[in-house]
Amino acid sequence: MDIGYLDIVVAPWRSSGNHCVRCENFNYLSEKIDFRSRLLLFMLIFFLIVPLLLPAQSIKPTNPIQFKIKNAGIIVDGTISDWEVMVDFDPKKLAQSSIRGKANPESIQTGIKLRDKHLHGREYFHIQKFPFISLESKSLRSNGKNAFIGIFELQIRDVKREIEIPFTLTQTGKQQKFKGEFTIDRLDYGLGEKSLVLSDEVKVVIEF
Amino acid sequence: MKIKEWLSRLPLWLYGCMLLPLLAFGLSKQDASYFSFSDIPRIWTDEAMKDWELPNSNPEYSAQPVSEEFYYKLPERVIYKTYPVYHPDHEPEGYWEWLHEQEAEIVLDESKLLTEEDYIKAGELLFDYPIDTLGAVINTQHVRNKDFYSATNMPLTPEGIMPFAQWIVGGKGKVYLGNLSCAMCHTRVMDDGSLLKGAQGNWPGDKAFAFALESDGVSERGVQGITNILFGSPFADGDPHGKLLSSGREAIIEAYKAVPEGAFGRQGTSILYPPQAPNLIGVKDRKYLDHGGLGQHRNIEDMMRYIAMNQALDFLNFYGDYNSIGLTKERLKSGEPIFFPGTHDRHSDAQLYALAKYVYSLTPPENPNKPSAISESGKIIFAEQGCVTCHTPPLFTNNKLTPSDDFEIPDEHYDKYDIFGISVGTDPDYTMKTRRGTGYYKVPSLLGLWYRGPFLHDASLAKLEDLFDPARLRDDYVPTAFKPHDVKTKAVKGHEFGMDLNEMDKKALIAYLLTL
Repeated sequence: MDIGYLDIVVAPWRSSGNHCVRCENFNYLSEKIDFRSRLLLFMLIFFLIVPLLLPAQSIKPTNPIQFKIKNAGIIVDGTISDWEVMVDFDPKKLAQSSIRGKANPESIQTGIKLRDKHLHGREYFHIQKFPFISLESKSLRSNGKNAFIGIFELQIRDVKREIEIPFTLTQTGKQQKFKGEFTIDRLDYGLGEKSLVLSDEVKVVIEF
Repeated sequence: MKIKEWLSRLPLWLYGCMLLPLLAFGLSKQDASYFSFSDIPRIWTDEAMKDWELPNSNPEYSAQPVSEEFYYKLPERVIYKTYPVYHPDHEPEGYWEWLHEQEAEIVLDESKLLTEEDYIKAGELLFDYPIDTLGAVINTQHVRNKDFYSATNMPLTPEGIMPFAQWIVGGKGKVYLGNLSCAMCHTRVMDDGSLLKGAQGNWPGDKAFAFALESDGVSERGVQGITNILFGSPFADGDPHGKLLSSGREAIIEAYKAVPEGAFGRQGTSILYPPQAPNLIGVKDRKYLDHGGLGQHRNIEDMMRYIAMNQALDFLNFYGDYNSIGLTKERLKSGEPIFFPGTHDRHSDAQLYALAKYVYSLTPPENPNKPSAISESGKIIFAEQGCVTCHTPPLFTNNKLTPSDDFEIPDEHYDKYDIFGISVGTDPDYTMKTRRGTGYYKVPSLLGLWYRGPFLHDASLAKLEDLFDPARLRDDYVPTAFKPHDVKTKAVKGHEFGMDLNEMDKKALIAYLLTL
C-alpha cells in the first residue's frame, strides 16, 4: 500500500479551505483586488514560498526500515517496507534543516505471517486506529564529520516521545545518504505487554 | 509505672504458659497451612456467578445458572466408601458377593479437615468419588458384561481394574455403579498399566455410552432425547445438533462411537465437535478453564465454581429460555428436587475446596524424555518458529484466548479478558455451536505432551507428527484420531506452524516438545 505522504499532509488544507473563516475573508477581499494586484500577490507568494519548498525532497526509500528484537533468546529480524521521508537537510544550515518520515506498520514482516497479523492487531500497532508511525526532527546538531545527532519526535499508536537518534550522512554529488540507528522500549509505545521471553528493547535501523 | 512493676513481679513460668496456645497450633511446617473451616469461601453467590463465565459466542444465549438460594438448598453430598470395578475375567472370586455383604461406610468427615494436607487427601477421595448412581453413562449390567470391554477397547490396569467408575455400597445388598467422578475423564491408564491421575484421560466414554444405548435397546426417541439433553443447542447457527437428532438412532449412535479415547462429549459440548479431555496437571497456573475458556480462573473460588458447574449443575442452566432437560423457569423456582444425574445434590463448599486443593497439588510424573542434542536443537527451532509467542515458557502457554475464525471480538472483551487477537484457524465449531462455546479457544499449555494425546482441541490428531504434516490441510485427509461419523475424509485445518520445516528439524522440534 502506498501512503501518499504528501496527500496526507496537504489534503486537510485543501478540504478545510472552504470552511475556514480566514479563507472566506480572503476570498471576499480578493474580489475587491484588481487583476494587476492579484498577479502581484501571486508572484509574491510564488517567489517567497516555492524556494522554501524546493530543497525538501520526498523520498520513497528502497531499503525497508529494519528492526531487531530478542525473542526467547533468538534475534528476530523484521522490516517495515512501506515508508517515505521528506528531507530538507543542509549540513551547514542545521537549524533550518528537517527530516520527517512516515511508515505504514501494515507492511511489517517478521518471517511468520500470523505473527505479522498479530502485530497489526490492537495489542501492538492497532493499524485500524493508528495507520502510521511518524518521525519528525525537532532539532539537529553536528556530531563530528558527516555525523549528526537529531532530536526526533517518534509517534507510534497515540504515543509521542522525543528520542535522540545519531545518524551519518554520505554525500555523493547531490545525492545524500542517511543512516541512523536507535533503540526504543516497545512498552513505552504500548506495543504489547511485558513478556518473559520477548525483550522490551527494539533496535531500529533506518537507511535512505 | 505500676503495671510495669506488677508485670515484673510475675513468675517466669507464667510467661511460659502464655506460649502454650502456640504449641496447640504446632510449630512444625504444618502450622503455616493451618486454617479453620470458616476460611472456606462461599462460592455460588449471585454476584460471583454473574460474570464468572464468559458469554456464549451468541451472547443472547449465555448461560444463566441457578440462583444462590436454589444452589444452597440442595443437600450436600455424603461420601461413601467406594470399591474398584473389575473386568469380569479379573474379578477376585467371591468379590461380587462380598460387596453385597458390606455396610455403607461414610468416609469423609469435614470436621476433621484441619490442615492443607488433610484437604488435599480429602480432595483425592472426592476426585475419585462418583456423583451419580442413576446410570448417567453406564450401569451395573454394562460393566459386568465382557462384551462391554471389547466393544469399547477399554483400558484396564494390570489387575484388570477399570478405573473410570467405582462401586458404591449404600448399605448391605445395595451396590451401585458410580459414574461421573472427576477421575472418569481425568485418569489415564499409561502404557505400563499405571494410573496417571489428573492427566488427559483415556476413558472411551462415548463408545461406552454407545454400547449402553445399543445393549439396552434404547428407542430412537430415547436416544434422541438423551442426546438433546447432553448437547442440544437449538440457538446455534444451523442447529447442527438438531440435525444430528433428525438423522436417526443409528447415525446418533455412530456419532458417539466416533469419539476417540482422550476426548469426551461432556454435557454442553458436542459429539460432532468433541473436546479433548483436559489435562489437569498444572491447571493451577491456567487462567481459563474449558477449551473455550468458558470459566475464568482468577483464584481458588473460580476453580471451585467450575467443579460445581461442571459436575452437572450446568444441566440446570438456561440459555435464553432454553433448558436442555426441558425445565421451565417456574419449575426451577418451585424449589422441588430435580432428579437428574448430578443435579439433586451438590458438593459442600468444603468438599469443593478440598477438590480444588487436590487438583492444584497434581504434579507430572518424571519425564522419560531427557534433553539431548536433538531436543536442544528443537528448542532453538521452537523459538525461531515463534512458538514462544503463544506457548510461552515456563507455562508453555501465554494464558490467552484466541478467537475462532467465525468470531468477531467485542471491544469490551479486550478490557475484561486476556485476548490474543488473532485466530490460528482451527475448527471453529466447538466454540461457535455449543452451549459452552465462547467464540474463543484458550491457548493450551504444551507441558506434559509426552503423556497426552490425541491433540488439538477437537482431538483430531493422534500424534505430534501429524500436526506438522501438510497433508492434514487437504480435504482428502483421514484424521488420525477424531473423525466425524458421517465423513470419510476431512481436512484438519489451522495452526499451520512448522509445516515447512525439513524432516530433521521437525524431528528435533518434536523431540523438544516431548521433553516438556
